[in-house]
Amino acid sequence: MRILVVEDEPNLREQLKSRLNETGYVVDVADDGEEGLYFGREYEYDAAIIDLGLPKLDGMALIAQLRSEDRSFPVLVLTARGNWQDKVEGLEAGADDYLTKPFQPEELLARLNALLRRAGGYASPVLEQGALKLDTARKEVRVEENVVELTAYEYKVLEYLMLNPSRVVSKTELTDHLYEQDFDRDSNVIEVFVGRLRKKLDPVNPIRTVRGQGYRLALDVTA
Amino acid sequence: MKAGIQTRLLILTTVVLGTFLTLAGIVLDRSFKASVLTGAEEQLRIVVYSLMGAIEDDHNTLRLPGALPEPRLNQPESGLYAEVVARNGLRPWRSPSALTTGVEFDQASADLAPGEFLFTDSTAGEPRFLLSYAVIWGNAEDAVLTFTVATDQQPFLAEIQGFRRNLYVGLGTVTVFFILAQWLAVRFGLRPLRTMASEVRALEEGARESLSADYPKELEGLAENLDRFVAHEQRSRTRYRRAMEDLAHSLKTPLAVIRNALSEGAAAQQDLVFEQLDRMETTVTHQLSRAAVSGPVIVGRSVNVCELVQRLLRALDKAYAGRGISTENLLPPDLNVRLDERDLMEMLGNLLENAFKYTRSKIIVRAVSAEPLNIEIADDGPGIELQLRSQVLNRGTRADVLQPGQGIGLAMVQDLIAAYEGQLEIGDSELGGASIRLIFS
Repeated sequence: MRILVVEDEPNLREQLKSRLNETGYVVDVADDGEEGLYFGREYEYDAAIIDLGLPKLDGMALIAQLRSEDRSFPVLVLTARGNWQDKVEGLEAGADDYLTKPFQPEELLARLNALLRRAGGYASPVLEQGALKLDTARKEVRVEENVVELTAYEYKVLEYLMLNPSRVVSKTELTDHLYEQDFDRDSNVIEVFVGRLRKKLDPVNPIRTVRGQGYRLALDVTA
Repeated sequence: MKAGIQTRLLILTTVVLGTFLTLAGIVLDRSFKASVLTGAEEQLRIVVYSLMGAIEDDHNTLRLPGALPEPRLNQPESGLYAEVVARNGLRPWRSPSALTTGVEFDQASADLAPGEFLFTDSTAGEPRFLLSYAVIWGNAEDAVLTFTVATDQQPFLAEIQGFRRNLYVGLGTVTVFFILAQWLAVRFGLRPLRTMASEVRALEEGARESLSADYPKELEGLAENLDRFVAHEQRSRTRYRRAMEDLAHSLKTPLAVIRNALSEGAAAQQDLVFEQLDRMETTVTHQLSRAAVSGPVIVGRSVNVCELVQRLLRALDKAYAGRGISTENLLPPDLNVRLDERDLMEMLGNLLENAFKYTRSKIIVRAVSAEPLNIEIADDGPGIELQLRSQVLNRGTRADVLQPGQGIGLAMVQDLIAAYEGQLEIGDSELGGASIRLIFS
């Protein structure tokens, strides 16, 4: 999952980045609104965390601009002022949720998680596709109630596919969303992960290969 | 309330004009009456002189010719009568007109010195004017004749009455005309003040932002000062709020940094520091939001409550999407209230957010009454514990010492509504959860 963080306060920005990295997200940071807009235009993100009080281009305008350019990834707004006028205007500009500073890091992660789930069409933190269950809060995968041990990257691949259930995801897209920018794009590491995942998830096989295009999550996965 | 300027001016004018015209009426009335009386006396004097010219002296009787110079003296009850009395005891002479009428010729004229006139007013019986004149007749000292002529007052009084009537009708018309003219003048003169009053009202209601520039020079200064005052009030409110928000920003961001830094470390003191951080955060949040309350405003736009609630519901629906919460806004679409929009948004935002957090599936917003404005937010969640209710509603309790959860939001709303001298009521809703009522005085 690739997340864009736009925050002008350097300490908070770095804290957010490292906390999100620890949780397994790929993070791009921007320190003002214009840079945030540049990143939002140039890259595909799964979600963005945007502070409302930004230099150059304020958060509200940034969100409105991204939305007007059909950037539909979920946006979590951070506001220090905490008044309802700001929250409502932020949501009206196109944000999907708000968080008032100061906040608990756990709360931020939970909200972000919920936004990503909702964008994938899941109401509960446990994503279910037939016999396959992925608990986004505990980062745990079960097949027919048996816990499957996955590595961090295997989990990320499966989570990304499950959060984008109704479309074909290319290998490039997976690479972009799961790795930092310096990743070697020519390697076949994604194929390796997918191969290992299929073995570990047996007897269910939720990942279909769409020849020449990428992977797609098979709906109604049964054992 | 004191009488209006228009009423005052009209009362003053009416009193002054009334007094002046009454005095003028009295003076005119008296002068006319005096001139009528003088006229009557003059007429009688002429009759006396003509009688003196006509009298014939016989030693024993006073004789006057059959055809008197004044024909009315010959007609009975003509209204003009005469008597001639001799002091030496000769039989008095009376005009034919007086013979059949009991005219009381005044006996006071008996002492009249020769050569003197006496004009009197007799009220015995028919009111009459009398003029007596005494003359020494011939050479004898004692041959004094007294001529007395009487005339009915009626024609003179009728003349005076007629004049009076005309006088009063005339003066009355003039009075009415002047008062009317004065009223129009005052209305015209005070029109700018009325305009100003209605513009100030529009200013209060938020229908306009300043007074129009078109005032007469006496009011120009006042209008300018009012405009300046209103602009100043709005500016300082905005400035104050911005300062508060900046303060909040600059305090909260470092707090977030500390918190995040601490959550990374594994210090033994973590719990204690977190606890203190929590208190600091709550205090800052609470005190700043309290300080930022505008409170009742003298000059403010009216806010459509229904639209504002709709915006909040849309926003919260988005933030709480996926929880399957259904909301109903039953407020009348034209429900307007005159208070600071941001204050109202803070109150309703906090209450609605609580409702979204704690409800199971349904939230209803409705107006219990419009006057006073009473808005109810009902949900089907677990409701609010009795102990928390009394804690929140007790004015002594500070929000920042309450446990996190519903309490802080409610206490903030309680603080805000208190600034408007309104009330927060916490009860049970018909949906089975909490019912929060916001009542403005």
